[in-house]
Amino acid sequence: MTEYEGKVRMVFKDLPLPIHQLARPAHEAARCAGAQGRYWDYHARLFAEQPRFDREDLVRYAVDLGLDRDRFVTCLDGRHFAAAVQADVEQARALGITSTPTFLINGRVLVGAHPVENFRIVIGDARRRLQGP
Amino acid sequence: MSVRRFSGPGRVYYILLALLALAPDATALAQVTLTVDHAMVRGPEGAPVTIVEFSDYQ
Repeated sequence: MTEYEGKVRMVFKDLPLPIHQLARPAHEAARCAGAQGRYWDYHARLFAEQPRFDREDLVRYAVDLGLDRDRFVTCLDGRHFAAAVQADVEQARALGITSTPTFLINGRVLVGAHPVENFRIVIGDARRRLQGP
Repeated sequence: MSVRRFSGPGRVYYILLALLALAPDATALAQVTLTVDHAMVRGPEGAPVTIVEFSDYQ
């Protein structure tokens, strides 16, 4: 992504799939880490550790990052971000998105884990459209 | 795609109006308002390209 430094904004949206029962708590946990300013570090740890998402795992990852354990546990057990994750799921449904990962690049859809060259093509196309003919 | 910014208590929400082509010929468009937690965003606010990734951790 460094080649697009300053030119691309990345937004992550939660889409835990129903077939993965431990996914939803993991998504809520990441947002709890975000509440302590460490969303992306926790996000990376989850991808590295999948599928080890039992509650004690999720708490350990937070502690490893130096997060406030009590605050994190209160957030996770209290499901403070359940509604926020559900809102993402419903927005995905409204857009007709049913599989992960799905990317919207300035609104254009790219479904699946594509090679980086495909992203270059779509990003280049999006930038050209902004500049006009 | 347009982006508006709202300030809330301890959090900033970005609302993106995403236009999604539902058909290959792009004749049908759905407009959906996306809520975004500022903690889940990387990159500058004025970036010309916004990539929204819907994904899960498994």
